[in-house]
Amino acid sequence: MFADLGHAAIRISLLFAIFTAVGSLIGIAVGRRDRARARLWIESARNATLVTFPLLLIACAIMVAALLRNDFSIEYVRQVTTINTPTFLKVTSLWGGQAGSLLLWNVLLAGFLAAAWLRKSDERELMPYALLVGSFTQIFFLYLTSFPEDPFARAAFVAADGNGLSPLLRHPLMILHPPMLYLGYTGFVVPFTFAIAALMTGRLDDGWIRITRRWTLAAWLFLSLGLILGGRWAYDVLGWGGYWAWDPVENVAFIPWLTGTAFLHSVMIQEKRGMFKMWNIVLIIATYLLVIYGTLIVRTGLLQSVHAFAKSDIQWVFFGFMSGMLIFSTFWATWRASALRSQNYLRSLLSREAAFLFNNFIIVAISLIVFVFTNFTLLSEFFVGQEYGVGPETYNMATGPLFALLLVLMGVAPLTMWYRSSLRSLGRQSLWPALVALVIVLGLLVWGIRSWGALVGFWIVIFSVILTLLEFVRAARARVRRSGEGWLSALRQLFVRNQRRYGGYLIHLGVLVMAFGIIGTEFFQVDRQVFLNIGDRATLNNYTIEFRGTRFYQELDVSVAEAEVLVYDQSGRLLTTLYPHTNIFQDGQGMTIPDARSNLIEDFYMILVNWEGVSETGATIRMYLNPLINWVWLGGLVFIVGTLIAAWPDPLDEKIAAAEQKRFSLAIGD
Amino acid sequence: MTDSTWTNENDLMLNKPPQRIWQIVAVVVVLVATISFVLYNALQSGGTQLYLTVNEYMADEARLATRDVRVSGWVVGETIEYTQISADQSRLEFDIVDDLQNPTRRLHIVAYNEPKPDLLQNQAQALVEGRAGEPGTFVANKDGLLLKCPTRYEGEETILNEG
Repeated sequence: MFADLGHAAIRISLLFAIFTAVGSLIGIAVGRRDRARARLWIESARNATLVTFPLLLIACAIMVAALLRNDFSIEYVRQVTTINTPTFLKVTSLWGGQAGSLLLWNVLLAGFLAAAWLRKSDERELMPYALLVGSFTQIFFLYLTSFPEDPFARAAFVAADGNGLSPLLRHPLMILHPPMLYLGYTGFVVPFTFAIAALMTGRLDDGWIRITRRWTLAAWLFLSLGLILGGRWAYDVLGWGGYWAWDPVENVAFIPWLTGTAFLHSVMIQEKRGMFKMWNIVLIIATYLLVIYGTLIVRTGLLQSVHAFAKSDIQWVFFGFMSGMLIFSTFWATWRASALRSQNYLRSLLSREAAFLFNNFIIVAISLIVFVFTNFTLLSEFFVGQEYGVGPETYNMATGPLFALLLVLMGVAPLTMWYRSSLRSLGRQSLWPALVALVIVLGLLVWGIRSWGALVGFWIVIFSVILTLLEFVRAARARVRRSGEGWLSALRQLFVRNQRRYGGYLIHLGVLVMAFGIIGTEFFQVDRQVFLNIGDRATLNNYTIEFRGTRFYQELDVSVAEAEVLVYDQSGRLLTTLYPHTNIFQDGQGMTIPDARSNLIEDFYMILVNWEGVSETGATIRMYLNPLINWVWLGGLVFIVGTLIAAWPDPLDEKIAAAEQKRFSLAIGD
Repeated sequence: MTDSTWTNENDLMLNKPPQRIWQIVAVVVVLVATISFVLYNALQSGGTQLYLTVNEYMADEARLATRDVRVSGWVVGETIEYTQISADQSRLEFDIVDDLQNPTRRLHIVAYNEPKPDLLQNQAQALVEGRAGEPGTFVANKDGLLLKCPTRYEGEETILNEG
């Protein structure tokens, strides 16, 4: 009964999505001859999309109810839950497996599209086309959920209990990480649909960019959150002391984030100077296709990855859809190529627009490198008949210098002016920050840091941080002088009056702070693994540990083996007691839970290694010293706050958009 | 920074672009060359790694003896063994096969001073980066043991059929 209701909700949604496509197509076709009839069709198509969202919510609610009721007659429920699974994990099992997570993908996409179409006053001209393009993606994913990846498929037999979620996924961060990624992925569908709609209608001013700016920022924010949470999960759960491994599944989420970042920068040139119109279209099409490609990789196990879900046969359907969308969007971009010519030209290589151009160039280069490396196994098999892969070291070597260039640009670009800047002025403004950064780095050299890579990295980060902070200081000082207000109020007003710019600078600061942490861990991480009997001591750099024993206890459905380790500093002062432990679930699956002494200088991170060999008298402990790691998370926080500020609705912007819309409607006599 | 948006865009459109195209081309060429160099350098120094199945590796073991490769296979649970050799040295061993239903050719994996991965258990898929050790053994690099979720979590039927 439950399964039937779920089936019905999904398939009716599919019918509504198909109706959206057909209705908007008819609306477009009859539009020129009979406006009233066209409007009726388009309104119906829009309503069909609006209905798809609640229908899919119902499907999700039915699935959650089935998970909570342990309805093992549904295959998906049998796979991802057990009778003893805690309630909140049963709810989150909705996205713990392939079919369920695709259902979530669908509901989030429907939610984004419904929210976009609810703002019907926004764009009457683009609407039918955007409805049509949006429905293509929805139909495709609803087809997957209706047929090959049906979450309500019946189990061959009704099992007494289910398999249960992988223990590694039973973690608060892992519960949030997938929905954030999906929100990012699905969010990028909205700017894509409006971009293609703009191509189809020929309305190639920056109207589509203005409408979708906030959607793009929201999608980018969620994708960023997904990536950061994924990194933190790896650090907290996987017990290898790291947060990023250049695994294909990580990369396929990172690449659209990169192209999305390039897009967010280059649209500013289109708005200010009427340039890069074609480039923006190419970037948003690429971001959309990379989102679909990322979903393909995660869903089908096409590339060898430690994350991938099980292998699946849906890859050809994905390739078919991707190819279709690639041809469709390339056709329209080519068709409108002449209308996408720049209204301006680059007057100087020392200008704000040139800085944006370099920024885009570097980001796209990094995206291409990561894309090629990620697909190296497929490419090498195709070209040389053997599978070759690329390891993290190669990724770091190839992208490291480009990221460094990007960080320099992050600091210098805000100093440039639109149209033209002078080298002298740029030199004058950046000389002191460069010297201050140099003095600090020389201090680090004297202090004993001998890694040239790290020293250069620190110089770049400090230089760009100073320049970025100076942007705030200069602007706030001008306000203080002009209006006599206090510094705090002046800083607040900067964010209120120009949230995009100063939100953006805050994002830059976040990235720079993260880079500071990344340099610390990449260049200075050390580790040691050691077996200790009770009372034994071992040392790693400035820390000495003493093993005090292991205790075993039961916690709900988990057996816990927990070590007690005292941590001393060089002088023998007790700093803290750490309790790294291993949870062993009923099915025998273990989960290593690290413990750490954390501060802004470093993490002293520890795991209990061989739980099977652990006795009450001895255990193997692995220690990691991760310098500056917490700056990565701190930078992430600053980054998110900056994005929220930049994306916050701006009443002035809304007024401009409304006025433009009114002007256009009057112009076409609507 | 002040945005110089006072200029009339239409006036600018009427202007002819100055003869600076060559400068832009030169910069683009330099950037492309830099990126190509960075890429080439990374591939030369960091290198690429051959990905093999157990059978492929064993068929070519002698030739691959000195190379760093990545071998993937399914873990035979009963062979997993963890030994503490001394306070500072441990050894983790297990066999991997291409076909769990017919595990004739087994590759013996040895990893020194590596923690036992949580996912290392029967039927898990192991991706091991390393190189040949003593005859019949394959020694994992530091951090070279990568494990995928065991088959029972998802797609059991698919994977066993493939196996």
